[in-house]
Amino acid sequence: MKEEVLLKEPFLVVLKRWVTSAGGITILLAVAAAIAAAIDAGPFILVNTIVTGGMWALLSLGLSLVFGVMNIPNFAHGEFFLIGSLTAYFAFNPIRLYLKDNPSPFLSAIAPFLGIFLAFLVGALLGVILEKLIFSPLRKRSRDQWVMNSFLLTVGISVVIINNVQLIWGANFKGIPSYWDVEPLDFFGVNLSVDRLAAFLLAVATLIVFWYFMRRTQTGRAVRAVAQDETGALLVGINLNSILSLTMALSAGLAAMAGASLLFIFPAYPTAGLKPLYVAWYVVILVGLGNVSAAVIGGFIVALLQTLTSFYIGTGWEDVIPTAVIIIMLIFKPSGLFGSEVKGVHEK
Amino acid sequence: MLEVKNLNSGYGFLQVLWDVSLKITEGEFIALVGPNGAGKSTTLKTIAGLITPKGGDIIFKGETITGTPANLTSRMGISFVSESLNLFTNMSIYENLLLGAYIIEDKQEQLDTIDFVFGLFPRLKARRNQLAGTLSGGERKMLAIARGIMSKPSLLMVDEPSLGLAPKLTLDVFDALETLRQGGMTILLVEQNVNTTLHITDRGYVLEQGQMILEGPSKELLENDHVKKAFLGI
Repeated sequence: MKEEVLLKEPFLVVLKRWVTSAGGITILLAVAAAIAAAIDAGPFILVNTIVTGGMWALLSLGLSLVFGVMNIPNFAHGEFFLIGSLTAYFAFNPIRLYLKDNPSPFLSAIAPFLGIFLAFLVGALLGVILEKLIFSPLRKRSRDQWVMNSFLLTVGISVVIINNVQLIWGANFKGIPSYWDVEPLDFFGVNLSVDRLAAFLLAVATLIVFWYFMRRTQTGRAVRAVAQDETGALLVGINLNSILSLTMALSAGLAAMAGASLLFIFPAYPTAGLKPLYVAWYVVILVGLGNVSAAVIGGFIVALLQTLTSFYIGTGWEDVIPTAVIIIMLIFKPSGLFGSEVKGVHEK
Repeated sequence: MLEVKNLNSGYGFLQVLWDVSLKITEGEFIALVGPNGAGKSTTLKTIAGLITPKGGDIIFKGETITGTPANLTSRMGISFVSESLNLFTNMSIYENLLLGAYIIEDKQEQLDTIDFVFGLFPRLKARRNQLAGTLSGGERKMLAIARGIMSKPSLLMVDEPSLGLAPKLTLDVFDALETLRQGGMTILLVEQNVNTTLHITDRGYVLEQGQMILEGPSKELLENDHVKKAFLGI
């Protein structure tokens, strides 16, 4: 619809339609709220929103992708986050201790990236293993009640991973004080730690690469094709199994990357994945299931809601307010703020 | 080029095709006609690999492809334009076509084929950036056929291209098929529009209740008493 509108109608008409759509209103309201809060309380509100928003975007992107392409409502998504932070911890901590005795500016600058990249790889590998070991056999056996069955499986996977992590590494917190042991930057009067800045830049870079991959490469197009019409995808010669594995790998990898990048805020412990899981679901339900690009915007909106709530009302309310907003929103827009690309999920 | 021997196929416990056989040589334009529910679409779906047959053989270019999944048969050169079209509705015409050339790795070859396809269907060129889901019925058919030939198949199977189209658009679609066939493509066309179909094809098969009851040159079929009575109403 959008493209045709752009071709034929003057810009102002399009703008007016966008501004009066649910998505447009929300984005404008969010920007207005962010600016008002920044003026009232200080620019740190913006900084916090943007930094956590980037990571929520990465998380919800993966969740949304897996739901859109594979129709799996993944409740084990938080465990990818956990595996990511664990990997980064075990990869980075030895280097950190080593660096204490043998300072090396170069190694200390790149070591965090090594940890985060390794986390992405381990997460992606875990995603592929889960797809091959669990979802692929189920898909071959029966696709009846697929959404329900795969949902139950993911809940099971989540329980298994949480308990195994506790069994193997114990229930203690594994965290690091910071990735880069340097003075925080002064950013418009806000103390911005290098870790936060790096986490944000990494999220933005990943989102850009991901967008390019999905829109401009043939493999990315194939992923979208599978989401839109599986039979059509088969008919043009797309190997469904490899695309599904790739989707799961990307989704899990992005979540693990988010976990690794935020290790300095969220230490790794067995149930560390639950909060990110809930947040990712807030975002995905808010913007519409399976709508991948809107999940990015949603990530920032939810981050803003949380930042505002914890500053003005109290940290304890951080989960309450977004949930309340979602309940109210669902009454008026049941398919999410931005509608959804997956209209026929239950018809498939 | 394609030989189907005693094919038995269907959905789950429901058998639709009973010992269906047909043979297509290179460059032929073949019609597969028959009433509703005769199993025409099932035949195509089974050849394309969307349905695994219960028995029989499908031989394509000397290789047995019985039960080969659809993503592999399309790599071997069989392109299937289904009745429901299976377009990627949230993608532009251009992207649909690019995906049609998914099995072609050479970028330049993809672009050349797109140019060729746009020459065949100028309407698509004018709307290349429009989303497939916003196209009219006729344009969707054209896009589906266009996407089907993007992989440069040696056998093109088209299921009911005239279904739900205005007569003028139907002719456009048939003209396009005619052009393709002149370019040397082998085409297997399934149609309910028996009269027009038999006028443009070389040979025809008549399928009724899952069984092949007649075959022969299209001109002879047009004269056949049974065909006249059952399909042409004369």
